Amino acid sequence: MTMAATATRSAISPRAAVLAYLAVSGIVLLLMMLLGLTMRLAQAQWINVQPDFFYVVMTMHGAGMVGIAGLSGAAVMWHFVRRHVPVSTAIFLTNLVFFLIGAVLILGAGFIGGFGAGWTFLFPLPAHSGSLWSPNAAASYLVGLMVIGVGFLLLHLDIARGILSVYGGLGAALGVKQAFGLAPEKDGPPPAVTASTMVLIVNILGILFGAAVLVVSLVNLYVPSFTFSALVAKNMIYFFGHVFINATIYMAVIAVYEILPVYTHRKWKTNWAFYLAWVLSTVFVLTVYTHHLLMDFAMPTWALVAGQLISWLSGLPVLLVTAFGTLTIVYRSGLKWNPAAALVFLGVAGWSIGVIPAIADGTIAVNSVMHNTQWVPGHFHTYLLLGMIAMVIGFMTYLTNPQPRYGFAWLGFWLYLGGGIIFVLAFLLAGSESVPRRYAVHVAKWLPYDRMGSVGAALAITGVLILVARFFAGMRAAAYAEDPT
Amino acid sequence: MTRGFFALLGLVLAAGIAALYWGTDGFRVVTSEGARELAVERSPRAVPDVALFDQNGHAFTLADYRGHTVLVDFIYTRCPTICSVNGDDFQRVLTRLQKNTGDRKIDLLSISFDPANDGLPALQLYGDRFGAEAPRWRIAVPADRHGLAALLKTFGVVVIPDGWGGFVHNSAVYLVDAQGRLVRILDPDASEQLAVATERVAAQ
Amino acid sequence: MNTRFMSSRLVAATGLWAILWFAPLRLALERDMAVHMIVQLPLLACVGYLLAVALRRHEPHWIAQGDWLGIPGLLLVIFATSFWMLPRMLDAALADPLIDLVKFLSLPLLVGLPLGLSWRRMPLLGRAFVWANFIPKLGAIGGLYLAAPTRLCAYYRLDQQAVAGWALIAVAVALGATWFVVVFVGWPAADGEAAQTCRAPQEAA
Ligand code: HEM
Repeated sequence: MTMAATATRSAISPRAAVLAYLAVSGIVLLLMMLLGLTMRLAQAQWINVQPDFFYVVMTMHGAGMVGIAGLSGAAVMWHFVRRHVPVSTAIFLTNLVFFLIGAVLILGAGFIGGFGAGWTFLFPLPAHSGSLWSPNAAASYLVGLMVIGVGFLLLHLDIARGILSVYGGLGAALGVKQAFGLAPEKDGPPPAVTASTMVLIVNILGILFGAAVLVVSLVNLYVPSFTFSALVAKNMIYFFGHVFINATIYMAVIAVYEILPVYTHRKWKTNWAFYLAWVLSTVFVLTVYTHHLLMDFAMPTWALVAGQLISWLSGLPVLLVTAFGTLTIVYRSGLKWNPAAALVFLGVAGWSIGVIPAIADGTIAVNSVMHNTQWVPGHFHTYLLLGMIAMVIGFMTYLTNPQPRYGFAWLGFWLYLGGGIIFVLAFLLAGSESVPRRYAVHVAKWLPYDRMGSVGAALAITGVLILVARFFAGMRAAAYAEDPT
Repeated sequence: MTRGFFALLGLVLAAGIAALYWGTDGFRVVTSEGARELAVERSPRAVPDVALFDQNGHAFTLADYRGHTVLVDFIYTRCPTICSVNGDDFQRVLTRLQKNTGDRKIDLLSISFDPANDGLPALQLYGDRFGAEAPRWRIAVPADRHGLAALLKTFGVVVIPDGWGGFVHNSAVYLVDAQGRLVRILDPDASEQLAVATERVAAQ
Repeated sequence: MNTRFMSSRLVAATGLWAILWFAPLRLALERDMAVHMIVQLPLLACVGYLLAVALRRHEPHWIAQGDWLGIPGLLLVIFATSFWMLPRMLDAALADPLIDLVKFLSLPLLVGLPLGLSWRRMPLLGRAFVWANFIPKLGAIGGLYLAAPTRLCAYYRLDQQAVAGWALIAVAVALGATWFVVVFVGWPAADGEAAQTCRAPQEAA
């Protein structure tokens, strides 16, 4: 079933295009981490940052990180799904160009226009800046998001087109029949196709909702007499935001399915449980956003109850089969650990551990206490920084064949892991002491956590810097190499 | 990319943007209400000299208001919603203007567009409800259909049946200056702005 | 495509146009905001689409060549539809029969016709992209109509505006659901004629 990419006239090879994605992601990742460090240092009162600038930094950090999570996730997904279905390199590159244009608009909105409404641009906040930013700055931010959305939409639709041309329907590509024992497991789609299909379904829907709410926000910005129900808008934003950020991990996990088999010399097992898990998670992810609304008493009770149950369950199926699959594929495989394998392995671990506080957070009783504490950044930084990003860096390391400078890479790995743990623990500890999130200025009692977080962040950034630098050093050679097998 | 693509694309872009620019008065308005406000603000228009009679049965014409600043609104006395809100707003503006401008010449004029139902008794009743006293605040109805049509056209008032025997119409307050020109269209809900704009025009 | 076919399409197009322009029907369709937007305007676009089908063979060379992947044509459609979405233009068409005539000419010629010519030049990806943008925007506009506290059109009541809002949302949801089901269950015409699936709902809308 493997086939070459459709002939495109782009002069850039598919492999070089993937490397370009990762190069952009690596640089932006480092810059955004520095912004994150800036926030932590400011909260720790080691540096002095004006509160309104803090919120600009926070908005840029959030938008930038979510952006590169999507971008690098897309690189992983595209790289591996290309082995099975025809996709267009030109469209893949178009998305990168749109991303860069959008990023410029967003950075301009923040650092020139002073836009600081948070990356989720909750309606109608962008229009109510208290004169901190102009409608034009808000518009620049919203249009920037829209441009990025257009690029991602094109890319997703193109991959969907490719998958449909081979599998006929998304149901078949997801492995629905195999999930329910209606077709032999051995005829099921490869894991990269199953995961990509899930990502396409949820993300295309999410982007459509996001686009609608962006249009509404933009119209409201310039014609204030056009209003909109703030609750509906919030639902839509969270639907879009939650789905998009969730999907990044489902893209990145493809790296686990593809890279661990290379180093363990075993096949990733795709049985009925694997397919069932992906089918279930597809349905769950589409509904999990309700958990963001647990604090909205305007929602009917049934929605609250459903939201609670679903947020307990949403990511679990895929997480379970992945964690289980990871353990079985590694167990007694005689795997000789290298940084790439260690990073994707860490990714699965970080994801698993990060979900535990998420589940606690999803429980209403805890939610009304915790939802606005640093417990929340604690949980999502665990599974994003130590889960999703770990898989991506693992993929970067895998592509740029790590052999020559292993020692250096190991140093980076341990700094990143150690610093990362200290950094997220600081958030979680502070959260359980009810330290609120999104506060620019912290009281003296909270400072120890902030300082612990700052130290951890600095260590983690150093580690990532080493790993990314290694990637850049190996990039040229990687453009002409083959994937390690 | 084929030959002629960019030419065609450029043509469509230029024509499309020009059309939207024109259709929104330079990307400033999307509703006819907004367009009307903007048009009046840019070029004030002379109001026609229409004959009316007020709640006391006095006949008068709009030309009688020369030298006075007038706030005009359009009503029908059976109106259960906007018109009574307008009446309240007018009352508030009146109080405020009396306080601030003493007897500088600012008058209020509520014109009914429903001559079939709004005879003298109806006008009187409406006037009493809000404490309107002519000539400071007249509740009036045009003397004939042509006068009414001319007024609605100049002020840009659109009246449509509401399906319950009443009417729906754009609610706004119209500011006519001492030279008898319609100079501003204002939002009746923003009584603060309304008063400020009126005082500014009256002071000219 | 023989002449009989061509002339039958032409007759259908002009006939539909004439019926729509026929005063009692025209006024009846324009009396309600939702009907105006969801029945009359799309039917006018359909007139142009029929024209396109009839006249395809005679399309000038420079258009056929310059309309790369159907992009300029689709852009024209987007501009023209946006123009007639401006509430004040709906008002103007109601207030002034001359503007209504402009509407009656521009919707067939600047929306339906270019759509009929350009759509078949669009690759599948482009069509999917157009749908993916069209559907949420329809819903967003419906939402705006629904939530607007004031009347956007001087000639329509607030309750009519709300009905129009709901109707737009309903159309968006219906289109989105159709799209989703088609894609999920399978591309009915995976063997080459996938274009059909895209065109069918287009004509219905
Ligand atoms: C060393 C790396 C990082 C540091 C130092 C850092 C630091 C921070 C800090 C201090 C906050 C604000 C917490 C508060 O509410 O008080 C924050 C928020 C956030 N971070 Fe990070 N972060 C890092 C990595 C990441 C990564 C890898 C991602 C995603 C891939 C990410 C995504 C976010 C998001 C989405 C927010 C929420 C912003 C908001 O509340 O609007 N961060 N980060």
